Amino acid sequence: MKLTTKNRFNVAMALIAPVALIGLLAASPAIAREPFTKAELADQEKALLAVVDHGRDLWHGTLPSMQTNGLACGNCHPDAAASNPHTFPKFQANLGKVITLRDMINWCIMVPQVGKALDVNGDDMIAMEAYAFYLYRGVKIEPGLATRQTAGFDVKSGAGFPKKGSGVAYDNEKAPVLPVINK
Amino acid sequence: MTDFNKMSRRDFFTVTGKAGLATIAAGAVGVNFGMVQVAEAAVGKSKVSPFRFAILTDAHLFSHADHKFDAMLEKAVADCNKAKPDFVLYCGDIAQNGTADQLDKGKKILSKLTMPLKVIPGEHDWYLDMGAAWRGHFGPQNWSFDHKGVHFIGMNSILVKDFWTGAGMTPLERMGVMEMLESPLAGPWGVQAEQLDWLKKDVKKLASDTPIVVFTHSPLWDYYPRWNFQTSDAPEIREILSKFVRVMSFHGHVHQTVYNKIGNMGSVGTMSTSWPWPYPPVKQAYPEHQQLRADPGNFEDGMGSQLIDLESDFAGKMLYKPFAESLTPTMKNGFKI
Repeated sequence: MKLTTKNRFNVAMALIAPVALIGLLAASPAIAREPFTKAELADQEKALLAVVDHGRDLWHGTLPSMQTNGLACGNCHPDAAASNPHTFPKFQANLGKVITLRDMINWCIMVPQVGKALDVNGDDMIAMEAYAFYLYRGVKIEPGLATRQTAGFDVKSGAGFPKKGSGVAYDNEKAPVLPVINK
Repeated sequence: MTDFNKMSRRDFFTVTGKAGLATIAAGAVGVNFGMVQVAEAAVGKSKVSPFRFAILTDAHLFSHADHKFDAMLEKAVADCNKAKPDFVLYCGDIAQNGTADQLDKGKKILSKLTMPLKVIPGEHDWYLDMGAAWRGHFGPQNWSFDHKGVHFIGMNSILVKDFWTGAGMTPLERMGVMEMLESPLAGPWGVQAEQLDWLKKDVKKLASDTPIVVFTHSPLWDYYPRWNFQTSDAPEIREILSKFVRVMSFHGHVHQTVYNKIGNMGSVGTMSTSWPWPYPPVKQAYPEHQQLRADPGNFEDGMGSQLIDLESDFAGKMLYKPFAESLTPTMKNGFKI
């Protein structure tokens, strides 16, 4: 089609109008979404922590179908240590391919724990993932040496345990400085 | 085998003083694991008749029949029998949930050792019935004996303040709290006042050049309190033992190779026969003594047993005996404690 001057105007308006409308709507205080209020943020955090709590319970053996030999995720991964959720998807050497964290969780359930895999998109799997990721917030991905393993931050919640730390534990920032003697 | 578990301390001294251990030790002559010979200044006038002992720890046996952890403890026992140490020290956590059947199973497997055995408790052995079943199987929670010029000490380091009575917990609930490594509810554990008094009396008359080897479930230094990789009264223990020229400390609980040196004490962590714990997020003074990261697809990786050879000058050589290749070059051929 040959574009006349009028046609060019019409095409331009057709492209600009929706954008202009969105801009007008955004500029209108009556319609635009305000930033989340403190109360809303608190609700969101509460909802997240409820899922993290559930994940922590599952991690420590509250769902019997996840094992047939007594083992729980927490046996090898206290505080989700050495689970390194933030590094997935990655090449998992023992499986010889790139997998997701959910794949790895189900592998651990099925092989070392000889249990029944979780629904990969189910609430329990989301809770497991939420617990691991929550503990690794802010942890950098650092491949490092083969001997290097990472652990999570202080756990602030969990069913059956105090919601506040006892004060006896150290988190990463408060880790004791070890004496180096005769070295 | 000598049923060492049923023996009292006096019985053990009798055996060690007579032909019992000497006869067994004779079988160790000629065994060579290619360890590096380390020259070390003599420790005072005390002389050690060179010998080897072994450490097993943290089997965490479940009640399930034919559990994979049963086989791994069996394997470690077989490895020990081949290495022919004078005796074996077990550093705690035979059971996972502290039940009598789990302790029975452990005692049965450990009875296949062809040399004497001494045992200290771990928290997994203790908190279901506050050590009643464990004591019935393995005797006193703390002990000492002398062997070929060395004074050996074992103590129960997993005693916590009563957190369960006020909370109205059942024994099973109490055990559940203690089973969880990262549970903050129990707080730090230690040997507590009674055992500190016992230790003071035990070493009071020993000359300062007496070689000392001490066993506890948890490390006698502040490694990572969140996981109870500590003993709260370790400073007091180290103070009591500070008069000695040199002290070797061995501990279980950490399920990993780890080494530290504080004052006159060299401290060595031991490999389990159940699972390896990750290294906690703290800097280590001797990071070259950290084992390689375990392959999750190999259920035996990161675990094993350990042998210690003591020379006449109380130079100790530590040799981890992993089931799979887990050691850095620093540890591969043994290292000085």
